[in-house]
Order: sequence, then structure tokens, then C-alpha cells
Amino acid sequence: MINAPTHASLAEVTAIDTRGRGPLLLLLVAAVAWLVLSGILALIASIQLHSPAFLAEYSWLTHGRTQALRETAFVYGWAANAGLAIGLWILARLGGSSLRALNWTIMGTLFWNLGVAAGLVGIATGDMTSFALLQLPRYVQPLLLVAYAAIAIPGVLAWSGRRMNRTYASQWYIIAALFLLPWLLIAVQSMLFWAPVRGTLQAVAAGWYAQGTWTLWLAPLALAGAYYVVPKVTGRVLPSYEFAPLAFWTLIVIGAWTGGRHLIGGPVPAWIATVAVVASVMVLFHHVVLWLNLRVVFSGTGNAIVFMRFGFVAYLASGVLAAFTAFRGIAAFAQFTFMTPALEMLGLYGAISMFFFGSIYFMMPRLTGQPWASGALVVGHRWLVMLGIAAGIVALVVAGWIQGAALLDPDLAIDAVLERVKPALLASTAAHLILLGANLLLFVNVLQSAWAGCRANLPAGTPFRQPATLEATAS
Amino acid sequence: MNNAPENRDPRIDQAAVTDESLLLAHEKFLGKQPDEKARYRLLPLNLLFVFSGLIFFGATYLGRYSGHFDPKVFDETAPRGAAAAAAAPVDPVAMGRTVYTTVCAACHQATGQGLPPAFPPLAGSEWVNGSEERVIRIVLHGLSGPIKVAGTDYNSVMPAAGPGSGFNLSPEKIAAVLTYVRQEWGNSAPPVSVEKVREVQGQVGSRGPWTAAELEPFAQ
Repeated sequence: MINAPTHASLAEVTAIDTRGRGPLLLLLVAAVAWLVLSGILALIASIQLHSPAFLAEYSWLTHGRTQALRETAFVYGWAANAGLAIGLWILARLGGSSLRALNWTIMGTLFWNLGVAAGLVGIATGDMTSFALLQLPRYVQPLLLVAYAAIAIPGVLAWSGRRMNRTYASQWYIIAALFLLPWLLIAVQSMLFWAPVRGTLQAVAAGWYAQGTWTLWLAPLALAGAYYVVPKVTGRVLPSYEFAPLAFWTLIVIGAWTGGRHLIGGPVPAWIATVAVVASVMVLFHHVVLWLNLRVVFSGTGNAIVFMRFGFVAYLASGVLAAFTAFRGIAAFAQFTFMTPALEMLGLYGAISMFFFGSIYFMMPRLTGQPWASGALVVGHRWLVMLGIAAGIVALVVAGWIQGAALLDPDLAIDAVLERVKPALLASTAAHLILLGANLLLFVNVLQSAWAGCRANLPAGTPFRQPATLEATAS
Repeated sequence: MNNAPENRDPRIDQAAVTDESLLLAHEKFLGKQPDEKARYRLLPLNLLFVFSGLIFFGATYLGRYSGHFDPKVFDETAPRGAAAAAAAPVDPVAMGRTVYTTVCAACHQATGQGLPPAFPPLAGSEWVNGSEERVIRIVLHGLSGPIKVAGTDYNSVMPAAGPGSGFNLSPEKIAAVLTYVRQEWGNSAPPVSVEKVREVQGQVGSRGPWTAAELEPFAQ
């Protein structure tokens, strides 16, 4: 049933999108630029795993630093910028009015990205901290906190000043993410840098933060995109939506408790790891409800849906695998092997980034008021990135499996173990090369589309079909 | 009803529904559900079972492997009370050696021979091997001015190392380091107990460094 538009605000692209165009495109371009840089660094880091002499004469490109640079550029460069752009846009659209105070976002974006850039220089020159996912030097950390708050201000205003009193799952997840990262950062910065806690408590705090960036910040932003795009494109009410609040609260309340599973076998009291194992299993309830809600993703068509589908499967798989590998008996085998980076890639690339890609493919034409610049680049990026992620995960899992088994064999010397793992690591490097190529395609396409969108001021809504009204019949 | 667009063009994803109707349609499912007597829904019950099952697992697992939430239990299979039993007494000589290396050895040297004319030796020193009352006071509060050790005159300042000083050594560590130096390098004086250090600390309280003359009454 296609309803005729009865109200101007029912058009698919309105002033809500065009008003936010500049700042949101700035966030997006910055995000994809960091993604490409992180891809180059990941390639170097991956080559160094099987050819340790590669670039070893440059101290700032030794493996410890390229690894930290790659991770930082990926999380604080790509994921942060992309997630915030998507989050602000969805809050504006569901709130029903244009984003306000966008100057804050522009200034915040500039300083956030300057901060990340300065932080990367700091890491390259040896100032990094020793905490995973928090390797930015301590002197840029306060700047990042302030810049993040500035970027988030229009989002909070869009939430508190929303036209309609009703709320939707995407909004809960985004607002939670906007407030929870500053909380995580303030808490962990005080506990690790400004008034350092003593001894093993530092490891506990760092593990809590590293898990929190994933469960309380990036995953909510990614899920918000999925909750928004899936019903928008499929035109179906999400089944069992009445349980969506349970999925939300399970993730928010239990999610960060899973941090202690990274400390299994470490010098922490037994209960910390035990609680983390229990939390990893309990949080599966979130995944069950998510499956009930978002399974309609398998019925849709279109480019964004393909990304969402991949991300959805990867998200569910990473939840199940996180619970599975949390158990001590399995952690003893999988910890400290290439299994860990494989799981990280499944979570950060396969789930979070694919959700982000899907949201970006849906959002970009609405920001610029016209289709993507090149359809071939879209399709090329889609296939290459799926191939790259799948190949990368498989290669690392195989490497981890061989390594885990070989390390337990007392007759094998350590260099013999490395020799056995080498073919899988070469495959992993090939996967990173594919991913870099894929993301270059995306980068070119984003630049072209953003450029075209900034120049041409087409009457909004031209290429868009008039959407219908969603009727709440399905359940 | 499914009005989803075909979406053949990869350059643009058409939306099937408006934002407003998306909010409206989903809002209906939150909060109170209309009571439909004829329609019995199994899903809420199933989810309740799943959640209860997870809680049951979690509670059982926590009960078995939490180590009773004892901060000193590192082995999750340890029986209750294992922490106290496992806390082995610390060897004061080993602890004292560590303290000596980090605090004392810079002046008195790893060999205990000191560095004339500023830092007196500990090996064979009548101050070290003599009254424990006296040597405890020196470590607690420091010593300044001239002092005669093993027939040689020294003149310098030894900083305080007791609680509240720059080194902030606990009574346990002071007792350990004194026990260590009193049996090392050929010294053979009896060990110093933690209780004795506490007792002296309680008697004197806090004060500046001693002089050799002030320590005269504690020589026995």
C-alpha cells in the first residue's frame, strides 16, 4: 500500500538531512580516511608477523608500534567518526527536527581528529601507554574527552528536543553510547593516568575499558544503525519488537562485566574471571532477542541490507564465540594465539564495521541528496570487503589453531611453530591487502559523492521514491 | 503486506517506510499489550525460560568457581579457607635482601663495606651487631653528624627510612632488613622482631634524625 504524501515531512529527504550535510560529511570523510590509513598500517603489521625484518630499520614502524597505530587509527579514527556521524543523523531523523548547535560538532570533529593524529605521532615516537585499546599517549587523552563531548552535543539536543514523544530502539542505543564513552574515558583515565591505582587493579581497569569500548560504545552505535536501516528498507515491523528493551538493557547492564575474561590466567583474584565468564554467557540473552528482532534482515534486498546481513551474522557469531572462549578450559588453549586477533577481527571488522558500512550506504545519498557517485565502486567495495574479512578471519583462526596445538607440543622448538604458522599468516596478509583495496574504493566513492553533494544543490528528494506508511500488523 | 522496494541500483537504497510511521508502528508494541484472550503467545514464556536458564547457570557457576569472592584466592577450584592456609610466612632474610638492595645499598654498598669517609660499613659494625634498640632508632628516624664505627670516624647524614619518611618502610620491612644485615657479611647478631620495631616506634613517635650522642643511652 503506497500512501500519497499528506505532509511535507513525510518526504524521504528533507531539511533534516540537508542541514546536517556539512558536519556529517566531515565526520564521514575523516572516518574513511582513517580506515584507509589503518588498512595500510594493518598491512605492514601483518607482513611483519611472517617477515620480521620488514621495515625493522625504522623504529617508528616496528611491529609493536604499527600494531598499536593500526588499532588506534581503526577504533578512534574510523569507528569513532563513522559511529558518531551515523548516530547524530539517526537521532535527527527520528527526533523529527534538524540538528542544532552543529558548530560544536564541527569544532569537536576538528579537535578529535587532530587529537587522534597527534596521538598517532606520539605512539610512533614511543609515547604509547601499555593498555590495549587505550594506547593513545596520556597527553592527548583529555583533549579527546572534550572533543567527543563537543561532537555529541547536537545529538543530545536532538534527543531532548525531539518532536515526538515516542522513542525507538536506535535512539536508546545511540544516546547510551554518547554518554557511556565519556564515562568509560573519565573513569579509566583517572584510574590509570591521573591517580593510578596500584598493582593488578590497573589490569582490571584496562580490561574493563577495552571491553567497554566494544560493548558499551561501538556495538550500540552499530546496532542503532541496524535497528534503523533494516525496517526502513524491508518495510516490515521488526518481529517481537516488544522484547527490544530487554536486549538493550542486557547489553548495557551486563556487557562491561565481560571484561575480566581477558585476564584469565593472570594475577587477578579468581572471582573476577569467573564473573566475566558468567557475564559472557548471560549477555547471550541480548543476542537471542537481537536474533528475534533483526532476522527480517534476511528478507530484504539492496546494497545496505547485504552489509547489514553480514554484520548481523558476524555479531551473533562473535557473541557466541566470546561466551565459548571465555571458559577457562578453552581460554587456556585459545588465549595468546592468533585466535584472539581473529575474534577481534570478527567483532570490530565483521560486525561493527559492516553495520557501519550498511548505515553509511543508506545515509550518504540522503545527506548529499543524490545517489552514490559510482555504482561499480559500491559493488566492488561490497564484494572485496566481504571477501577480505572472511579470508582474514579464516586465516587467523587456522593460524591460531595450528599455533595453539603446536605450542602445547614440547618436542617443537618455537621457530618450528612459527614455520608452521607462516602459510596462514601469508594468507592473512593477502586478506589485509584485499581489505585495503576495498576501502580505497570506498574512500574514492565517498570523496566523489561528498564533493558532488557539496557542489550541486539539487532539490532534495529527487532520486528518492516516496516511502509508504508502515502498518503495525506483523509481529 | 510487504511494500519493500526492489533496490536494484547499488547507488541508492530506497526506503520502504517513513520515519514517523516507523516510530508509530513500533511504539505500539512497547508497554501494555492489548489482552487478546484467544491468542496465546508462547514466545514470552520461552524467553523467560531462556533467561531463567542463564541465571541458573550463572548462579551455579559463580557458586562453584567464584573462590568465595576472596581477594586472595587465585585458583577458582580452591576450597573455602584455602587462602589463609596458603599464605606462607615470608622469609625475613629474603625480604630484607630486597629492601636492602633498593634502599640501603646505594650508600652502604652491596658488600656492606660502606664508602669512607661518608658512609660507614655495616659488616663488622658494633652499631649493627650491638643493641637492637639503637639500630632500630637509626633506621626509623635517620642519623646525622659524626659517628665512630669500628675505630674510624665518619661524618654524613643518613635519611630516615621509617613510616612517613621518604622510604616509608613498614615495621615488617624494617625488621626484615635489620635481620638481614645482622646475619650477612659475617655478622652474627640475633634477628629483630616486628614487635620490637613497633614498640620502639610507639615509644618515640615521630622526630628528626638522631645524633650519635643522643643514642648513647640505648647502647645496652
